[in-house]
Formats: sequence, C-alpha cells, structure tokens
Amino acid sequence: MDLERATTQATLIGQDFLTWLWATSEQHRGRFTTASGEDFSLFVEQRVSVQGGEGEGKETAVCSGPMAELKEARMGLRTGKKVGQAKLRIEHDENAWQVQINADTFALSGLKTPKVDTHVEEGDDPDAIFLEKIFLIEKCMLYLDTVFSIFIKLRMSSQWNSEIERIRQWMNAA
Amino acid sequence: MAILSASTSLTRYHIVEDVPQELWAEVNDRLRKFAFRDIDDTADERSFGWVCFDNMLDAKWTTAPPEKGVYLTFSLRLDTRRISAAVLKKHVQLAMDHQLRLMQDQGQKFLTRDQKTEIKEQVKLRIRARTLPVPAYFNVIWDTDKNIIYLGSTTDKILELFNELFTKTFGLNLEPQTPFFSALNLLGEDRLQDLETLEPTIFV
Repeated sequence: MDLERATTQATLIGQDFLTWLWATSEQHRGRFTTASGEDFSLFVEQRVSVQGGEGEGKETAVCSGPMAELKEARMGLRTGKKVGQAKLRIEHDENAWQVQINADTFALSGLKTPKVDTHVEEGDDPDAIFLEKIFLIEKCMLYLDTVFSIFIKLRMSSQWNSEIERIRQWMNAA
Repeated sequence: MAILSASTSLTRYHIVEDVPQELWAEVNDRLRKFAFRDIDDTADERSFGWVCFDNMLDAKWTTAPPEKGVYLTFSLRLDTRRISAAVLKKHVQLAMDHQLRLMQDQGQKFLTRDQKTEIKEQVKLRIRARTLPVPAYFNVIWDTDKNIIYLGSTTDKILELFNELFTKTFGLNLEPQTPFFSALNLLGEDRLQDLETLEPTIFV
C-alpha cells in the first residue's frame, strides 16, 4: 500500500464526509440510527472550518459562535470549499456529547462526554469511574462510526451522484 | 492528556496483526521492560516510557495493574528538559568571553569553530543539569475485545513516539484510524484500489 497516497486520500474522504455530514444532519434534523436500531441525533454546530485550494493557495475560513448560523462557512461551500474541521453535538436520550473532528486524520479534540459521577464510596469498584467513562467514549465512537459507515457506502456507490445533487440544493438554499 | 478529564483529545488505532494469545500473559513484563526511567538526577534531555494509568509517578504498577475489565490501560510518560534560547545565548556568551580572556593571556586572539562548538555543548550540559525536566503523560487504553487502541493525544510528535514504542514493546503494528483506513476497514481490502483512485467530489 502507498502510504503517501493513503494520506492524500484520507483528506479527500474526510472532507467529503464532513461536508456530506453537515448537509445530511441539517436535512434529516440530525436523526440517525445505528445498525442495531438505536436512534441518536447528530448536529454540526458552533464551529466549522472550510478549506479550499492547494499548497500556498490554500484558504481556510473559520466560523464560530455559541449560536452561530455559520453563514460565512456556508458561503465558502458555495465557492467550492469543503469542511476541514467541525464541532459535532451528539444526543441520545438525556445524554449529550461534544467533539471536534478533523477531516484529514479524524483526530478528535475537545471530546466531552455526559458527566461521570466521580464520587467514590467504600466498597465501590475502583475501576467503576474509568469503565463508565470509556463506555461513554465508545458510545460516541459508535455514533461517529455509524454516520461514517452510512457515508462511505453511499460515496462508493452509484447513489453518490444523487447525494451530490441533494447537497448542492442544500448549499444553494442555505 | 488524561482521558478521564472533562475534555479530552483522542487518536484511535487499529492493531494490524492478530494478537498472539501468549502475549496477554507477557503484557506486564513487556510494559516493565520499556517502563519510564526518571531523569530528575541526570542531565539527560529527555526520557520516555510506560507508567501506570492511575499514577504517572508509578513505573512499577504498584498503584493498580493495567487490567481494567476488558481493557489494558497504561500511560506514555515523556519528560523533557527545555532550555530557553535566551538563557542559552547568555551563558554561551559568558563562557566564550571567559575562554577568550584566558587565551588572550597566552597570546591567542580568536576561538576556533571547534572551540565554540565545544563551549556551546558544555554550557548546554551545565544548564540541563540545573533544569528540572517537564513531565507529561498521555493515557493509553487498549480494548482487547476489538483490538482498538485509544491514545489521549492528537499531537504528531507524541503520536510518532507512541507508535514506535508500542511496536517495540509488543511487536505489533498500529494503523491510525484516519478516514482512509476507516473506509478500508469497513469496505474490505478488495476496495483498496477504488479508495486509492477516488477523485474528490465537486459539489458546486
């Protein structure tokens, strides 16, 4: 396998994915379902960076704000830019996660899980806090993997052209 | 960075090979073999190795063993002595002035390039011995069911260090779960060429 090629293609796939995810989560009101039938919602919010061009001509526009409509980033998409980084909010029942994901590597930063009770009483399993935290982290990974799996199957299928059309309409309407 | 803190950074890896069954019994010994060694009392520039997940000062796992449920947990500790460029510049200048004065008494007017290099190295060593190393640690969680590893960092330098030390310790190779490798894992090896030749989508 050509590792240099894998790095270039990772950026391409990651940017297509996050651009698709922004459009799809807005159009589906954030609703997604895991393979085992668990419903969750996922939104792009508060912070998005869009990128276009290559090498020294590369341009990045970052939009952020607690209730921002991310208008400049949406405009960027209409000029051919793609999402390079996005902040996601995931909800399932009463639980909420926040995470920033990078298109190039899928590096996750600022990952906030639902709060874990760190109060320990005598007789409690000393690993209980760790096990609850990792359970919540893995839940977040499951939701991210679910949306990526939906995307990559569409991306590699003949349905991708109709997805492009749908995303184009969303871009122009947004 | 601590994975248990309120906000954390994460990089996910997949283990390339099947993990040999006998390795599970050797985990503790292998971690100890590549455990962190303290450099507080030396002049070493940096030291790195594994420590206990629950206590970064514990390189003998007396606080808690690495096993937590189906997970193996430990941390990568990295201590680095950083010398401020301004401090180094000042002390190199002082040392060179001092050396020059000594040599002028013997009739020599200039320091040679080799002498300057030697002075700089000596000064660096002297300052390093007086500087305390800055400690840092990065949690590692190995899900032994899925053979997925979580590392509590997204910094390239730390990722590289971790990758090398993990392979050296366990004889296993790691594949970062980038969009490319995540796609390959989902679709299977027979779609490798399709992924390698995929063209970017033009949405506009």
